[in-house]
Amino acid sequence: MTASQADLVLRAGARPGGGRHDRRFKYALVAPSIFVLLLIGVFPLVYLLVVSFQNITMTDMDKTFQGLLNYRLLVQDTRMWEALLHTVIFTAVALPIELLLGLAMAQLFIDRLPGRQVFIALLVLPVVVSPIVAGATWSLMFNTRFGPINQIIGWFAGEEVNILWTINPSLVYPAILAAEIWQWTPFMFLLLLAALSGVDKSQLEAAAIDGAGYWRSFFKLVLPAIWPVMAVAILIRGLDLFRLFDIVWALTKGGPGTMTETISIFAYVKGFQQFETSYTAAVALMIIVLLTVVVLLALKRVQLAR
Amino acid sequence: MGGRQYNEEEKMSIQHRRPLGVCRQALLPALAVIALAWVGVANAQSAAQRAVDAAKKICSGKTITIVWEAGLQSLDPLNFSGPKWEQLTGCKVKVVEVPTAEMFTKIMQEYRAGTGAYDALNVIPAWMPDLVQAGALEMLDPYVDKYGYRSELQSIAPTYRDNQMTVNGKIYAFPDDGDVFVMYYRKDLFARDDLKKAFKARHGYDLAVPKTWKEFDDIGAFLTEALKKEGIYGASSFREPGYGNFMFQERFRNEGGKFFDANMKATINSPAGVKVFSDWVKENKFMPPGVEKFGFVENLATFLQGHAAMTISWPPYGRFAAGYLANEKALDWVPKSRIAGKVGYALPPGGHPELAAGFALSVASTSKQKEQAYLFIQWLNSEEISSQRVKLPYALRDPFRDSHFTDPAYMKLWPDAKEYLAALQAGSKTGLLDLSLIQTDKYEEALRQGISRLWAGEDPKRILDDIARQWDETTRRVGVEKQKAVYNAWAAKSGAYPK
Repeated sequence: MTASQADLVLRAGARPGGGRHDRRFKYALVAPSIFVLLLIGVFPLVYLLVVSFQNITMTDMDKTFQGLLNYRLLVQDTRMWEALLHTVIFTAVALPIELLLGLAMAQLFIDRLPGRQVFIALLVLPVVVSPIVAGATWSLMFNTRFGPINQIIGWFAGEEVNILWTINPSLVYPAILAAEIWQWTPFMFLLLLAALSGVDKSQLEAAAIDGAGYWRSFFKLVLPAIWPVMAVAILIRGLDLFRLFDIVWALTKGGPGTMTETISIFAYVKGFQQFETSYTAAVALMIIVLLTVVVLLALKRVQLAR
Repeated sequence: MGGRQYNEEEKMSIQHRRPLGVCRQALLPALAVIALAWVGVANAQSAAQRAVDAAKKICSGKTITIVWEAGLQSLDPLNFSGPKWEQLTGCKVKVVEVPTAEMFTKIMQEYRAGTGAYDALNVIPAWMPDLVQAGALEMLDPYVDKYGYRSELQSIAPTYRDNQMTVNGKIYAFPDDGDVFVMYYRKDLFARDDLKKAFKARHGYDLAVPKTWKEFDDIGAFLTEALKKEGIYGASSFREPGYGNFMFQERFRNEGGKFFDANMKATINSPAGVKVFSDWVKENKFMPPGVEKFGFVENLATFLQGHAAMTISWPPYGRFAAGYLANEKALDWVPKSRIAGKVGYALPPGGHPELAAGFALSVASTSKQKEQAYLFIQWLNSEEISSQRVKLPYALRDPFRDSHFTDPAYMKLWPDAKEYLAALQAGSKTGLLDLSLIQTDKYEEALRQGISRLWAGEDPKRILDDIARQWDETTRRVGVEKQKAVYNAWAAKSGAYPK
């Protein structure tokens, strides 16, 4: 049905004085979905806000209004700020690497290669693995005594090596990042491969005829063409990385000490191991506000909201 | 059993007395005798049978849900006790498997949600103050009395009975797992003449099972030096922070450490604590590479494959090392023991092993079938059924009743089983309880993080000062006086500190 046909149908259905009635009918139709959305979206948020002003702990169900108690504690909690910093570090390092590697792989596979489909299928495998399973697998890989990584290094070194991948402060971040990048680069690769497939070949050919080099074509034609998809991919992965939990939990549980503790791990420990319920609600609310601001700014920046 | 005894003359006299009042006089003692006899018969019936008989009436056709540690532990209710209970009573048992690290969280979450999803629970005794204070556990005293279980509870080994059963004098759980750290050592290596001679020449005393940590260090370093070419290290140990937490608690107290002073200020950073951390770092040098990450399985694999001369762990190591039912399908994952018949059992250095973790059976306060759940745990925990359960090769439940340690059937399970049981019993007598306070996990978390920082190369004193600061902060937040009362109650227990 075209727009003009739809317009005709609507006009035919319209009755004098029936505008208000129609409006009510439309509201009635959308009301259930609005109600469900409010129930599952807004109610938990409001409840979270309410709980964050109480003092519910493991042993006390103190539901009296405590003012800004939890928010004051939150501001003073250096461990929480450190966890936030670790999360930002993971995001800031992993995201560009995943993007660049994914893009490079997509560029490689955009051309017809022998066995292309098989390679793509194999490359995508890490994405379908549950993150906690990926973390456990990498934990075995990095196992000092029984893990293959140390054994392979040992073969080259000609002696048994004792590299503490998930303990040594200078190795623990690279170890986590390696696992994270291994798992999620294929996600970038898939999205960017799809985006690259949609780039108009005739434009690239015309540019080549006009004497544009590879990089010039890439920056002037390819990048603008794939940017909407790339921006969405960056946003999705950025948000994912901000919620980073499973791989870090499986590899280090946030250690040594709290050196690799992310904000999600911090919230889990406080909320579900120590049952600092109200305090965790305040932390969660802070994360929501922070992420909302970041996402809005990002959307504005990449102009996707339009 | 009391009750008046009558001679023949009295009986005849009673029979010839008239009228009705006299008859009543005769009737009352007779009834009393009958009642007492009936109680006697009832008591003669085992606690397990009483639970079965009662459950047949109130639980048949129903299903109770029990939370159990995931993995081998849960094969007990899945393969043995659950089906048997159903067969005896008609009452089904649904097992919810939860990894140990998440059990507390799951139990608390369910309690907060109040859905009644769990009926019976496995809880680690150190959690009990937290769970009781929160209201998650049902008090069991009324059920114990109703179903006549109090006398059988007395035959649980005193350490477990006196320390892991009650909170504020009330019963909230039945100790059901004699978890205690035991030192396992290679008898064959300790008996080798060349090693004995060389050790004596170097250290001036005989090579024997270490009784102090100094001896442990001497022997461990010596054996590594002497046997490394054969692929054997002097010792291996739990070092992964979750397990290291138990090892620290044990050793710290064996070295004379106290967790808090009289004002409830943390003293974990005392010289004893620093010594433990410093010694650990030194000991890693004679232990297998990567020992810093050794948990239950890594340490087990190392020991069973014959790569370590000594180790300290929970009781199942002894059974696995002996090759007890090594062909059991559920134990496929356990490396085949290469040291069967070569393993000796002793108390760890210091003589006061950690009663690390352990499990106790409890009833969820939110259960809608409390009585049914209670009957199941009474039956599980009873003398009759528990003696069968601790012999299951796969279930990881360890002897916890006096009778388990002297069970002739158990002693025949493998050639050294008698010595094994003796070591377990000795450990139960001198064992040390896990620290148990309000919000225990916060204290343990600080310790676990401290251990991971130790392996990352930080200074022991600095780490322990930081742990002490975190402990003090937690105490302050809980309330110093409130926590002090809980700590003092814990410290007054027989297994809190070495006597």
